[in-house]
Amino acid sequence: MATTALTHVRASAALAPRLTLGEETLKFIRRKPLGAAGAIIILALMAVAAFAEVLAPYDPYHADYGLQFARPSAEHWFGTDEFGRDLMTRIMYGARIALFVGFAASFAGCTIGGLLGVVSAYAGGKLDLLLERLMDILLAFPQLILALAIASILGPAVQNVVIAIAIPIIPRAARVVRATALSVKENVYVEAVNALGASRPRVVFQHIVPNVVAPYIIILTAQLGGAILAEAALSYLGLGSAEPTPSWGLMLSGSALSYAEKAPWLAVFPGIAISLGVFGFNLFGDSLRDALDPKLRKG
Amino acid sequence: MAAGIRRHRNHFIFITLALLAGSIVAATSAAVQAAETPRRGGVLLAVIGADPPSLDPHQESTFATIQLVAPLYSTLLQVDPYSYPKIIGDAATEWKISPDGLTYTFKIRQGIKFHDGSTLTAADVKATYDKIAFPPQGVRSVRKGSYTPIKSIEAPDASTVVFKLKFPSASLMNNLASPWNVIYPKKYLDTDPNYFKTNVVGSGPFKFKNYTRGATFEGERNPDYFVKDRPYLDGYKFFISPETTVRAAAIRSGRAYIEFRDLPGAEVEAIKKQLGDKIAVQQVSATGWWGISVNNSIKPFNDARVRRALTLGLDRYTAGRVLLPLTGLRDVGPLMRPGTEWALPPDELEKFPGFGKDMEKNRAEAKRLLAEAGYPNGLKVVLKNRNVKLPYQDFAVFVIQEWKKIGVEAENRPLETATWFSDGRDTGNFEAIISPGVEFMDDPDVMLRRYVFGDPGNWGRFNDPALEDLFARQARSLDPAERKKLVFEMQRRVLENAYYLPGLWWTRRVVHWAKVKNYVAPPNHYSNQKLQDVWLSED
Repeated sequence: MATTALTHVRASAALAPRLTLGEETLKFIRRKPLGAAGAIIILALMAVAAFAEVLAPYDPYHADYGLQFARPSAEHWFGTDEFGRDLMTRIMYGARIALFVGFAASFAGCTIGGLLGVVSAYAGGKLDLLLERLMDILLAFPQLILALAIASILGPAVQNVVIAIAIPIIPRAARVVRATALSVKENVYVEAVNALGASRPRVVFQHIVPNVVAPYIIILTAQLGGAILAEAALSYLGLGSAEPTPSWGLMLSGSALSYAEKAPWLAVFPGIAISLGVFGFNLFGDSLRDALDPKLRKG
Repeated sequence: MAAGIRRHRNHFIFITLALLAGSIVAATSAAVQAAETPRRGGVLLAVIGADPPSLDPHQESTFATIQLVAPLYSTLLQVDPYSYPKIIGDAATEWKISPDGLTYTFKIRQGIKFHDGSTLTAADVKATYDKIAFPPQGVRSVRKGSYTPIKSIEAPDASTVVFKLKFPSASLMNNLASPWNVIYPKKYLDTDPNYFKTNVVGSGPFKFKNYTRGATFEGERNPDYFVKDRPYLDGYKFFISPETTVRAAAIRSGRAYIEFRDLPGAEVEAIKKQLGDKIAVQQVSATGWWGISVNNSIKPFNDARVRRALTLGLDRYTAGRVLLPLTGLRDVGPLMRPGTEWALPPDELEKFPGFGKDMEKNRAEAKRLLAEAGYPNGLKVVLKNRNVKLPYQDFAVFVIQEWKKIGVEAENRPLETATWFSDGRDTGNFEAIISPGVEFMDDPDVMLRRYVFGDPGNWGRFNDPALEDLFARQARSLDPAERKKLVFEMQRRVLENAYYLPGLWWTRRVVHWAKVKNYVAPPNHYSNQKLQDVWLSED
């Protein structure tokens, strides 16, 4: 049996030579153009966030009191807000908070959830039962409602927003990773290392974790868009960062809500920024899932 | 010199004519309203921006408490709803002040019933004022400092209350007309002086009906109200939302008829544009300002150089121009309302830190002071704030942006109303905090008590015996010229030491449907909230 499997793997390797990173990327772009578009949006946002000091035409806190509610113009492409601050600059800096919160919350939530999923699957028994019921409790609350509750307990601050968004992600990541880990755990090579007397951490971290990386990456990218949206929603509701921090959600809740009729650009541009960010991550996440999921992989 | 005098005289004539014209317009408008035949029935729908920290006005100083509960209570005296600052009776029908100014005797109206059916007597008035002037242990009385002249309160019979004073007071009548001093039934105070933080038993034109935190507060008509044929309304209902736009949208859609506090200029314009004559806007210069309390009891704010730097860093004159359309904050002024007899004149005001018009010079001086105090690279400050947008958040944004120019990095930290009061007033858990001073009257006792150590209004916790002395002396002074001198001196001392950082004085824009009749917006959002004469011309 083992001999047959080995032969099969060798044959597959001979049929499909290993591709370089560049070739893999080109293959991804060719097969998943929408995913590639999503990746370009993400990269563009990351570049804007990273180089905001260089790219932004003004200081995000600089108020030109003679230019309150200025319409979009050559000097201020997206117009100015109620304090005469350049909206494009603030949106560029706002990308920092959106991406920081998005990445930090998704990474923290998915990593903690993923590890709990693996431990739960490998340990089984009472620990599995306990962890799963705990996840059930967390899953009983809609994601944003739970984030709202946590944020209102912790108070408005960026680090609290990260925690508030990360916690509801944990059970979702745990469920997905646990399912994969359960199937990996039944593989013969895991049985073999167990039989050889490998320690539990070694089995988990060397033999199970590497094989659940694909679902981990999928859930991570899938949650990123949601996390950005959640950050905007929490800021919109006054539970995220506070004025005058340039945050997309805050821009929508503060000036846009009050002055949208007088200065519609205050609502339009932050709205576009949020939509673009979420759209980019969702496109990329979907395509990545298709590319990494063997069931959905074509050819 | 002569030209200067002529110019001042021209200004004076212009201001007098403007005030006269304004008075005529206001009086005519009030007369026209009064001439209309009031219609009975209907529920007044209103919007309000916050939940009350408690329901006891003796212990609170926010519109979120008084606007909701004022219609449920009576007071001894009141500010005339149609003629600020004239004082008229409410529970009191007549009063007499002894020639030496040390005894005030009030006759209490007969037949006033509390909503639990019991009769309001002089004993209830005495118990109420004992709680305000001499609060028992564990009971907060935020305006206690305004009643220091009172030695004792007596109720010799059921319809007579006598206030005995330690010294004659020029302000006591004003303070007895405070809308906050609602009369409670003695029997409940005897069992628990904090009973009214969560319960309502009043004798006002409306009876308490329902309160759902974060949603609504309702009162219904009191059929046994002591003023014949009042109130006109069947009830009132407040919708509670901290979101300015939600409140403005409620007015626009007709789901609410009035916002008693204020709405931003842009919202007012939009509402007027959409609803035209169906909407009325009453704009009044308010007896209140917004400013910043810095915690004088902790480093580095116990250093006058740091406080002076912070006040020097604020460009108040630009703030008045920028913030007026956004928040209604407009006038640069001292610690008494600009334009009143008590306010330091503008030319003298400009000599104090932060009130000079040369901002480059002010900022350079601020940086020098910070460096001298040991902060050559600036400092970081957490600026706590109330999570009410208007005008707290916009004012804070302006302050933060201004301080940035002198190297002070301030982090805006909005708090829910109860936490904001707790941190600012009760525990002093803050470095700097946005704190307004809106009062019901332009009276030095009312406005200046907050600068005395130990007063609940002294959020900055500064302790200057000279201020205590000046306050006590002005409170005792019956000579207007002498009192004015002391009031001026007190303002000078606060401003020179930057114990408190005044921002801007407020202008209220009260927006309501034209069908809301007989409501005259006073210069603050605390008085004239009983609603007993308000009526709706249609549902």
